[in-house]
Amino acid sequence: MTTTNRNTSLITLAFALVLWFMPSVRETLDFPVFFLLFGYSLFFWIAQASSWNTFTGFSGYFSFGQGAFFGAGVYSVAVLAVKRDWPLLFTFLVGGLVAAVIGLIIGVVVFRLRKLRGEIFALMTLAVAFVMASVARVSPAIDGGQGVPVNTVELPEFLGDFPTMIFRLGLIVATFAVITAQSVQRSRLGWGLFSIRDDEDVAETLGVPTFRFKITALLLTAFIAGISGAIHSLQIGYVTIEDVFSIRVPLFVILMSILGGTKHWMGPVVGAVVVVTLNDRLNRAGFQEISDLITGGLLILMIVAVKEGLYLRMRARPLRTAVGFTAGLVIGFALGALDESLITLVAYGLGIAVLAVMLPLSWFARSEPAVTDDVEEVASHG
Amino acid sequence: MADLRFTGIGKRFGGVRALDGVDGHVDEGEILGLVGPNGSGKSTLINVLSGHYAADDGSITYGEANLTDLPPHRIIETGLARTYQIPRPFSTMTALENVSVPFMFGANPLSPQTARESAMEWLAFTGLDSLANEPIDSLNLHQLKYLELARALAARPKLLFLDEVLSGLNPTEITASIEMVRRIHSSGITIVIVEHLVRVVTELASRIMVLDRGKVIADGDPTLVMQDDAVVTAYLGKRSKRAEG
Ligand SMILES: Nc1ncnc2c1ncn2[C@@H]1O[C@H](COP(=O)(O)OP(=O)(O)OP(=O)(O)O)[C@@H](O)[C@H]1O
Ligand SMILES: [Mg+2]
Repeated sequence: MTTTNRNTSLITLAFALVLWFMPSVRETLDFPVFFLLFGYSLFFWIAQASSWNTFTGFSGYFSFGQGAFFGAGVYSVAVLAVKRDWPLLFTFLVGGLVAAVIGLIIGVVVFRLRKLRGEIFALMTLAVAFVMASVARVSPAIDGGQGVPVNTVELPEFLGDFPTMIFRLGLIVATFAVITAQSVQRSRLGWGLFSIRDDEDVAETLGVPTFRFKITALLLTAFIAGISGAIHSLQIGYVTIEDVFSIRVPLFVILMSILGGTKHWMGPVVGAVVVVTLNDRLNRAGFQEISDLITGGLLILMIVAVKEGLYLRMRARPLRTAVGFTAGLVIGFALGALDESLITLVAYGLGIAVLAVMLPLSWFARSEPAVTDDVEEVASHG
Repeated sequence: MADLRFTGIGKRFGGVRALDGVDGHVDEGEILGLVGPNGSGKSTLINVLSGHYAADDGSITYGEANLTDLPPHRIIETGLARTYQIPRPFSTMTALENVSVPFMFGANPLSPQTARESAMEWLAFTGLDSLANEPIDSLNLHQLKYLELARALAARPKLLFLDEVLSGLNPTEITASIEMVRRIHSSGITIVIVEHLVRVVTELASRIMVLDRGKVIADGDPTLVMQDDAVVTAYLGKRSKRAEG
């Protein structure tokens, strides 16, 4: 297990602070509004994946509950801000708290039954999202099957125009989620969770308060997923049960985290960046209908090829990662990706970097010098 | 006096009565040898006393503390720790990280950073310091048994159960390990040791308790107990039967 220290969180915070001013310098630097929305998309998935991983990745308890927590957040805004005119920012917080209460109930019920822990937990979390969707569907006070227009809600003016607002709100939650994951990973809570993941009975006899730790981690996960969902309701605009409680959120956070690696806070971040970027470019390239399908298929391939997760693999093979990324940029540039968007160019870089670390070590060791040469050659031509 | 006392301990697994009304005690400062044929319930008794399993019947006290219904993570706070007969290391952690976990919990929890530093001392004590940053799957069985020992010591116990930590060692290693157990004992830790090798038990133990099919059949001075008729029958009976079959 690799540790992380306080400086990591300070760096994260500094990085977030720089990003905070992105919207302010957009006109000066002359980049499209779309970048802010793409940035929000990254933040949303980073927050969701990191929060999922803080409980499931660290403790090993497989949770499908992300949809329930996310949905609780979305519908808190839909019900309270839209239907009851509560102040919007306050309903974000309520969204987090409602999700946390749901997490608490699931945790207390399942973790009390000492003998039935693992599988029952996964099933319970899956069932809760179904139950919530059904309740929302039959109850007009929540949804009633009609959907709720969150885009009618009045936005606080001091947060700026919509892209600026959603970018910054997303940034706050993503930063909070990542710093939470870092703090958990380096704390006693984190070590307790890791030992639960490896052998819960042994952890318990060695003094780890397993019940309390699992509940604490689940509460953190649910709270962050709920707030993030609450903010996301603004991005969705018109929320419907089918959309909110679809399998998309729980499925993608699982895939992203496993792809990036569940043992380190950085794993879900890497996974989210790779998946969101590639998925977004597939969408742009006109594959809207099947982009989830393609992304899903690719993900499964990647997960099988890189069991420990992309992040740990990339860290173990920094040269390959750097060479792959550079080669991707060069190839993308040569193919005219930059004419479309900077994001497309980065997508090429990420794509080739991922391919490079996925290749078997022996294969690469033989051809490594050749690849480096190629890159330099292409670079000098380009 | 922090003595461990247990009465009427029963534990069933399906139809198997692994423990059937076991009474006994461990006095502060002694080395108690816990012996008996295979399947007689030695490990189960350790599992129950350390809180790994809840007993079906009976009660356990340690000094002033009633352990009977205490959750396992509280039991270690009273000063009981144990090793597992079949090593159960945390498989995704390094050797050092395995030993640092108990330092972070229990009665005097340390911060993860300090825990690592303290863990290094017990790794050195058990001769594993050169493997500190190795992943678990690079350790062999002997090293895993020592890791069990180091991890149990990291819980800073007052009473330590050793479940066959020396089994499978060669004679030289056994001599060294007996010395190691003596050093642990002389640092003020009461010890209950399970071992099939008669040599180990008689050299170390100041008292012996014999289990057979979940019941205590003898308890007392090592030399006397090992000559007891019931003990000889339980041991040799089983042994010779197995040798034939
Ligand atoms: N978890 C379990 N599930 C079912 N049966 C068990 C379990 N643990 C122990 N038993 C049974 O309980 C009895 C006592 O087993 P135990 O492991 O305590 O014996 P032991 O004296 O430690 O033997 P050994 O010398 O082989 O280690 C055996 O019949 C065993 O099969
Ligand atoms: Mg045993």
